Amino acid sequence: MEAERRGRTDGLGSVIRRHRRWAPVVVLVLLCAIIAMVNPRFIDPFNLVRLLNAAAIPTVLVMGATFVILMGSIDLSVEGVLAVSAVLASAMVANNFTSADFGLWAVPAGILLGLAIGGVNGVAHVTLRIPSFMTTLGIGFVAVGVATAILQGDTVRISDKGFRALSLERILGIPAGVWIAVAAVLVALFIQERTRMGRWLYAIGGDEATARQAGVPIERTRVMAFAVAGAFSGLAGVMAAAQLGQGHALMGQGRLFVTITAVVVGGTALSGGVGSVLNSVVGVLIVVVLFNGMVLMGLPPFAQQGVQGLLIIAAVAMALDRSRLSFVK
Amino acid sequence: MPAKWKTELVRFIPLITLLGLVALVATIEPSFVRFSTLTVLVSDTMTLFLMASGATFVILMGGIDLSVQAVASMTSVVVAALLPELGVLAVPVAVAAGLIAGAAGGISHTLLRIPSFISTLAVSGVVTTAAFLFSNERSINISGETRDAHLAWMVGEFAGVQAEIWVGLILLLVLLFVQIWTPIGRFCRIIGAGEQAAIASGIRVDRIKVYAFMLSGATAGFAGVMMAARLGSGSPTLANEFLLPSIAAIIVGGTALTGGVGSVWRTFIGALIIAVVRIGMTFVGVSVFAQQIVFGLVLVLAVAVTIDRSKILIVK
Amino acid sequence: MSRAVSAVLEVSHATKSFPGVVALDDVTFEVRANEVVGLIGENGAGKSTLLKVLTGVYPLDEGEVLVNGESARLRGPRDAFDHGVAMVFQEQSVLITLSVAENIFLGREAEFTRGGVLLKAKMHAAARVELQKVRLDVDPATSCADLTFAQRQMVEIAKALSLDSRIDGDIVVLLDEPTSVLEAKEIELLFEIVRDLRDRAAFIFISHRLDEVLAVSDRVYVMRDGAIVGEMASADATTEKMHELMVGRALQHEYYRENRQGEPGEEIALSVSGLAAAGFTDVSLALRKGEILGIAGVVGSGREDLARALAGLAPISAGEVSVNGRPVRLTSPSDAVGAGIGYVPRERKVEGIVAGASVVENMTMASIDDFISLGIIRHGRERKVAQSWIDRLRIRTPSTETMVGSLSGGNQQKMVLSKWQIAGSSIMVLDHPTRGVDVGAKEDVYELIRDMTDQGLSIILLGDTLEELIGLSHKILVMRDGRITATFDAPVGAKPEQIELITHMV
Repeated sequence: MEAERRGRTDGLGSVIRRHRRWAPVVVLVLLCAIIAMVNPRFIDPFNLVRLLNAAAIPTVLVMGATFVILMGSIDLSVEGVLAVSAVLASAMVANNFTSADFGLWAVPAGILLGLAIGGVNGVAHVTLRIPSFMTTLGIGFVAVGVATAILQGDTVRISDKGFRALSLERILGIPAGVWIAVAAVLVALFIQERTRMGRWLYAIGGDEATARQAGVPIERTRVMAFAVAGAFSGLAGVMAAAQLGQGHALMGQGRLFVTITAVVVGGTALSGGVGSVLNSVVGVLIVVVLFNGMVLMGLPPFAQQGVQGLLIIAAVAMALDRSRLSFVK
Repeated sequence: MPAKWKTELVRFIPLITLLGLVALVATIEPSFVRFSTLTVLVSDTMTLFLMASGATFVILMGGIDLSVQAVASMTSVVVAALLPELGVLAVPVAVAAGLIAGAAGGISHTLLRIPSFISTLAVSGVVTTAAFLFSNERSINISGETRDAHLAWMVGEFAGVQAEIWVGLILLLVLLFVQIWTPIGRFCRIIGAGEQAAIASGIRVDRIKVYAFMLSGATAGFAGVMMAARLGSGSPTLANEFLLPSIAAIIVGGTALTGGVGSVWRTFIGALIIAVVRIGMTFVGVSVFAQQIVFGLVLVLAVAVTIDRSKILIVK
Repeated sequence: MSRAVSAVLEVSHATKSFPGVVALDDVTFEVRANEVVGLIGENGAGKSTLLKVLTGVYPLDEGEVLVNGESARLRGPRDAFDHGVAMVFQEQSVLITLSVAENIFLGREAEFTRGGVLLKAKMHAAARVELQKVRLDVDPATSCADLTFAQRQMVEIAKALSLDSRIDGDIVVLLDEPTSVLEAKEIELLFEIVRDLRDRAAFIFISHRLDEVLAVSDRVYVMRDGAIVGEMASADATTEKMHELMVGRALQHEYYRENRQGEPGEEIALSVSGLAAAGFTDVSLALRKGEILGIAGVVGSGREDLARALAGLAPISAGEVSVNGRPVRLTSPSDAVGAGIGYVPRERKVEGIVAGASVVENMTMASIDDFISLGIIRHGRERKVAQSWIDRLRIRTPSTETMVGSLSGGNQQKMVLSKWQIAGSSIMVLDHPTRGVDVGAKEDVYELIRDMTDQGLSIILLGDTLEELIGLSHKILVMRDGRITATFDAPVGAKPEQIELITHMV
């Protein structure tokens, strides 16, 4: 009876809560509509393809970041892992730095390297019992450091056409990089929905103590999540190398905060337990569309950061379901 | 008794770590422990400490301030632009600008209930844009005379020691005072340790939070002034690459990222640990290209050693 | 011998100590196949410790746990589960971030996994079977966030019962205060379910509602001070007898210091009229100076919501509150504190204390402004006041600088009470003030409550038990479904009976 009575008084609130899930999508649609009205060139197929292309690498990055954030942890090693995987991949295909020419073997190699570094992140975090913020920060430094040490400040230039096709080749008029990103989303969605690890991420982020009592292997799941996140960052590194035709130690610069912003704007809570990789795809699109729109509207580059900052606050304020959070940190 | 000793020991682990690192570098390269070398090292570290000092309060609260580097860059521009006109008064203006930026991060965090991670990140973008606008997208030089006239107290020398060190020590004392003797300092820690109990006791938690972000903005602003004074110019990107080291300094000092445990003096030690690792590597002869690898590893190890796990149940 | 064989779960000569406390003292306890065993005792009597031993959370100092007559070393709830012992936790362990099916099978997904792929359809089908057992008609894919508390409790029970189709032989289900969030109808349903499943499972039923225990169980154990002090067939037991065993004496009026129950003053300290908020409507009451006003009601009656609204922790939608004749607006806890209302929360560890802060910091938390001059916290003055309260309330703490988290529950609660007295609160809202407080310290708390009223403080009390509520209060309001349904005067010598209150509660 009590429950019914409450249900009734909360009726409106719960309707809003149920629909709040869709807030990021609403933000995205509104944003597109406004930009298209101001500048119709936005919906030009050319621009739309450019947009998708710009979203490809961030999309791959947020897949892993979402898994980690769902646990309530954070992965700051994104830039480092991306850089070192890009350097490895570019050094394995035909290039001006090494005499290697392993062709597409560079792809699994880059992913595996990312997986390994992610695994180190997880193992250090779990066994040393230090916050993931610090382990991934430190190991991110190490990864950039390794790339720097190998190249001594140089840049690897790729001459392998087949490898570059991974990003540039068009299939159905859309660059291959976008298709790779779509595949990455499907894989991530599969992991999230159809594997034990995926479901355990939600359990750990929701209440770690209870999950442990139920027999969820917390440590193993944490390590696996960081490893998977690393693998996605590694794939992003390979894609970046293919897109830019080069590999260097600073390839990842500026990627980290875009990644985390996209995850949060998409509606995944930094406190863990709530969210989805699909949310993060929407988050990436919001960030990319916003950026594209500002360029189309002719905003000077320096002003873009400011506008982006303001709009991110607005988007998060709208999208975040705070009814489940008693307080926010 | 031994249990008490142990807790006392845990308290001083960051300091012990620092001394151990100094000793380590010194055994390999004795010239490291010369007075002049060490004072240069400490004075070089003060900008990092300034930047991390106020942010310590935010982390004590369990929040995070990602806007410190953007704020410091912005105030470097402000002070460089206003110094010729306002003289030394440009310094409080710049610090006030930082304070306002901090307040913006804190207010958007508390009022809109969005995580401080996001609110301060967004404020960074806004502040950077403001700095670009203010500086017309270029760096602003501070002439030698202007600097000597108005900023000598900050970058000169006093009693045979670099002025930066005196400034840093005075700020440390002021912030320790705030931490121990004022309600803001105490409640930052209490909020970090038990926010709901603080709310139920009638503490105006949101107000304290905004104050902490303002403090963080002001010290970051002050750090920007010191950077501009040392480098003789201000630029909208001057403090880039300072954000993560400043957070690292706070954590390596032993302040918990989850809040509730920590101190400004720990951040002072943490900043020095980071400086000793960085400079020490050069002394020991680690190649420039490999330094970042060592730095990252030492960072993880330093946190593993200095963090007090007894007060943290679940590590995220 | 035959008895030993038929015992599915057994504890023999179990002893467990914690620093300073013997939590279990040579306890021998058994559950036979197809039996419902009641376990009663006051808070702190050792029930929780016994449960934690049975589920492998605590290892025993001495004695052993036997499952189906064989000595078993249980390493945790999961291990106990695999041995056929399932626990329904008092504090809900349903994860609202997961679906119903995922909660039921959390940690045991392997059985629905083929080649690393989780077969959701199969899992949902299995969940439906389990949900049927508890007659909960929800889609297994529903997120638990969208369920009511009672439904979540049923999911929790379904999770425990899912053991039955997965273990050969008998299972034992531990129900720790399962009725505390349930309505009368749901409690009846739960009992039916328990009776239905008896041929497949044995139950241990823990509740502080003695009538419930008698209604559902075959046999009852009574615990006090870490020991089993009585074991009887339910048919032979009466509420009075169990009560006597639990408390160790017949109900004594001295226990609640009824001799110190004075006449409240004439002035109205707190008056509430037509108050409404989420969980209750149209509540009016008047609290006199020096009066203890008890509020009775089951969970969900709205009494806790009322307490939180008065503490400024829940938004008020209608009505007026006046303190000492002056109207006050309670939009935040700081408003309530400013108006002189102190709140002692039910969840002490969350809202009552800051475990990681010192005793003195906790004590002056609500009144720090009184200790500040020229913007500076006067540590000396603060410590002096704290020390005087430590002495006065006999709070056992090594010093004023000790972390509150390391004190015992009773001492923590005394410290919370002193916090509000230091803040000069004239009205105290006590929400389960003796929860998690051991028996000895409980009497200290009662003594303190009487001291406070002697000094003219007025108290709104949500008691841990009805008996406590009746023993302490001058006057009792009963709430049901968000409204006040009855008012009783409770003067010394003419206190209402529990049953009189209960008829208005359910």
